[in-house]
Amino acid sequence: MNILIPHNWLLEHLETAASPEELQRLVSLSGPSIERIYEREGEPVYDIEVTTNRVDSMSVRGIARESAVILAQAGVAATLKPSTIPTVPKIDTSAQKTDSTNLPLPQIKNNPTFCKRIICVVLSDVQHTATPDWMAKRLKQIEQNVHDSVIDITNYITHELGHPCHAFDYDKIMQLGGVINVVEAEKGKRFTTLDGESYETIGGEVVFENEVGEIIDLPAIKGTANTAVDNNTKRVLFWIESLDHEKVRFASMKHAIRTVAAQLNEKQVDPYLAEAVLARGVELYQSLCHATVASTIFDEFPGAEQIAPVRVKYSTFNRYLGIEISPEDISSILEKLGCVVTYDPDATAFTVQPPSFRPDIEIEADVVEEIARIYGYHNLPSTLMDTAIPTNKPEGTRFDFEHACKQFLAHIGWQEVYTYSLVSEAVALQSGEPSTAHLKLQNPLTDDRVYLRHSLIPSLIEVLDANPQRPSLGIFEIAHVYHPQPNNLPTEELHLTMVGQKSYSEIRGDFESLLRQFYISELSITEVPSELHQQGEITVTTGSGEVHLGTITILEKGRVAFDILLTELVRILKTHPTYQPLPKAEAVTEDLTFSLPQRTPIGTMIEKMHAVHKLITSIEVVDQYKQNFTFSITYLDPEKSLSKDEVEPIRKQLIAIVNQTFSGTLVGAQS
Amino acid sequence: MTISELQTAIQDLVQQLTAEAPGVDVRTKYLGKKGLFNQLARVLPSLAPEDRKTAGQLINEVRTQLEATVLEREKTVGASTNWVDVTMPGKKPAVGHVHPISQAMAEITRIFEKVGFTRVRYPEVDWDWYVFESLNMPPDHPARDEWETFFVDVPDTTKPVEYDANNPRKRHPSLVGGKMVLTTHTSNGQVREMERLNSTPPIRMINIARCYRRQQDATHTQMFHQFEGLVVDKGITIQHLKGTLDYFAREFYGPGTKSRIRPFHFQFTEPSFEVDFSCHICMGTGKVGENKCKFCKSGWHEVGGAGMVHPNVLKAGGIDPEEYTGFAFGWGVERTYTLKPGLHIDDIRLLYSGDMRFLEQF
Repeated sequence: MNILIPHNWLLEHLETAASPEELQRLVSLSGPSIERIYEREGEPVYDIEVTTNRVDSMSVRGIARESAVILAQAGVAATLKPSTIPTVPKIDTSAQKTDSTNLPLPQIKNNPTFCKRIICVVLSDVQHTATPDWMAKRLKQIEQNVHDSVIDITNYITHELGHPCHAFDYDKIMQLGGVINVVEAEKGKRFTTLDGESYETIGGEVVFENEVGEIIDLPAIKGTANTAVDNNTKRVLFWIESLDHEKVRFASMKHAIRTVAAQLNEKQVDPYLAEAVLARGVELYQSLCHATVASTIFDEFPGAEQIAPVRVKYSTFNRYLGIEISPEDISSILEKLGCVVTYDPDATAFTVQPPSFRPDIEIEADVVEEIARIYGYHNLPSTLMDTAIPTNKPEGTRFDFEHACKQFLAHIGWQEVYTYSLVSEAVALQSGEPSTAHLKLQNPLTDDRVYLRHSLIPSLIEVLDANPQRPSLGIFEIAHVYHPQPNNLPTEELHLTMVGQKSYSEIRGDFESLLRQFYISELSITEVPSELHQQGEITVTTGSGEVHLGTITILEKGRVAFDILLTELVRILKTHPTYQPLPKAEAVTEDLTFSLPQRTPIGTMIEKMHAVHKLITSIEVVDQYKQNFTFSITYLDPEKSLSKDEVEPIRKQLIAIVNQTFSGTLVGAQS
Repeated sequence: MTISELQTAIQDLVQQLTAEAPGVDVRTKYLGKKGLFNQLARVLPSLAPEDRKTAGQLINEVRTQLEATVLEREKTVGASTNWVDVTMPGKKPAVGHVHPISQAMAEITRIFEKVGFTRVRYPEVDWDWYVFESLNMPPDHPARDEWETFFVDVPDTTKPVEYDANNPRKRHPSLVGGKMVLTTHTSNGQVREMERLNSTPPIRMINIARCYRRQQDATHTQMFHQFEGLVVDKGITIQHLKGTLDYFAREFYGPGTKSRIRPFHFQFTEPSFEVDFSCHICMGTGKVGENKCKFCKSGWHEVGGAGMVHPNVLKAGGIDPEEYTGFAFGWGVERTYTLKPGLHIDDIRLLYSGDMRFLEQF
């Protein structure tokens, strides 16, 4: 959460000669990060990121307190100025009994489980004066709207001291019965916030109700219209409560009312701040709105308890920091931060009592952090681990191989893409699976990212469609697809999917070359029945049987998809071949051209031809013209050179099998 | 022409060849069809019939001599008869490109593997418990606001068991079921890695994966990548975290790059840090000459978070925080990569656009 702090406002609480830039640099290194310095209304204004655990720093006073310690530690003179807030004048309840000086407080029935502290006072004769220039300027510097004094005072104090406060219209409260009950709301009660928005309780929110159960405030979050100050307000009930932070969080999130007050109050604001806020409020209402204190001060503080002390072993500092800092230096830093510290030399341990504004200091590591940051992280050495290197690697995962696949495909012309795992309903359906078979997001951000995909192919088609100027483009992606499982996490399958726009045989050749990189060459693709598109199954024969790697799909526009399960490939890939002794003789290679009928399955035919004789070591398609296919046949006997006479009978068998099984005829004369 | 005139012409020709500058195609010039030798030979009919035999011999001899000289010359200067236009543009094979994110991930992997980290992969759709609860973030904790989480639309079947920071494993999804989310960060790998190693350090994990957050602008995409480091052992200190960050900065951005850590807050680390790397343009000074560096925020680039593993996270992974300490860090791959010197990508949505005009540049 970012907060804007004007430099000159900060100087009301911090005595220092540090320049804004110096303060920015030093405070950012050891405390909240001062991200930028803006020029606002002619003055520097800090834009500071305060982390969610440090609500104590979400105010001018809080930043001044942090800065004072950090600057002083860095050798720049700085001190936190003492508070200048006067105490609230006590009124003599026995003397004057006029309306303007002695009004009854509402009847307040607190529930200490929900509210740690309530403090309030009635102010009368409130005049709706214009917000003075000095206050208006600061509110503008921190990007808040300027209304009139009656309203702006509460915003100003919240920013200055860090505890939200509220101004009720006292008369409205009294007209509604003069009762404030702190209760947990029942479900289905309606209320309207001061900006006119209507809500209905879901049950469990802490609300203020009057005697008849009407909601008169959504405390710690936003006022309601029926009790808020307006232009006619003459008397103000100036009010501060410390509501249970989890209850604030609950109501604020459920109703999506994220006011500054809610964002502070949900983070355990220090209840001890309430007195100062009350005193500052009275001071400002008196001086700016000419108000009079008209009641005793109501202060009920059932939650007044100290934060639990933290016991820290001296050795813990060394365990985290790797250096020795003396117990005296540790105590000194913690004390500057407001802690009460005792060191027990016999037990070599500290007892650290954090101040009321630091509920975030709960465990040893929290105390270590305070020491380390103030000591300065930049003052710690930097070194690599000298501990044992783990050697237990996860099974079935080969990141080096995945990257090698990517590199090889890229080198032979394929472009790698990354597409979203989340797809639209239309794209999800293109996988061939119904949308109900997909995992769906509960809260998608946009319509095109709703379903977790079943297939990468539709995403890759989208990319090809978006690049029409590259008609021969081939792209691939390695990513997960997601299959829902009942009562369990989905199965995440790692796929390599290639979609190309070249011929089937070229793309298949590229794919086969990829497998060859990992010494896999026994590959077959057989057509399988399919409704939408023509499909084939990719099978690899290994020593331990057949492995189904994935499928090929013939898509529209002459596109071809190869989609394989990468984990299956990882399972069978080899890092090296099995060496074959070099043949003692030369191979004989010759070309045979056959004229074949339409739709002859060439792959199947080659398999049959291969089976003719063991001396046939390779058959490749080298040319095609219409239905004439030229095959390059290699014959090899590793032991001796083959003679013409030995090759001839094999060739005759080849021609016969092509003729008998596939009705193909040899083209041209072959000797 | 007389014999003596022919002899002079022959001598001139031989001398001319000897004096030729390097680079001249002497084979064509002297021995080509329209070459100087053929021009000389054409004088033969103009000689007196009785001289022609002698002249023929002379011309044959000079032919042999010229051949030898040209051959000799070709050997020494390496000039060949095929002239090549060296200014001709090259003809490149059609190559594709490995996606920049893959390139970055491979580099990150290499850097960390060199110092003993093991790369792992964990679910992208995971139980809320691994993504938040086991990381010291109870249900509905305000710290969860930082993560714009996508929830998966499946029934939440979690059995109602009270959250207990001291014993986070009470609500382990294997015991009580759970809510399913898309991983908002790679930190879900922390407790998963502790479980994989049976809660037995040493752990040096690097987890690089797709993550998802409900946000979209020039610096955020709904899907992005993070890399997460986790080191747990006896005696691991902030110094080791600093050492690892400095090492990574030097390896990834080049020598001279420094890192620094500043206080921050995460629920799952304590102390927690924001990690900055020094700007390579101004070398961490924030100034180029007299001017402010335009590339960075006062000399440094914020890259992500880090911290010492919170004792509750170690407990969630079954590791005794009294015995072991550890550190963790997790940053966006896109953010880290786009800070590379001279890269200048100002809109990370391009990475996932599938636009070839972009991808072909890598």
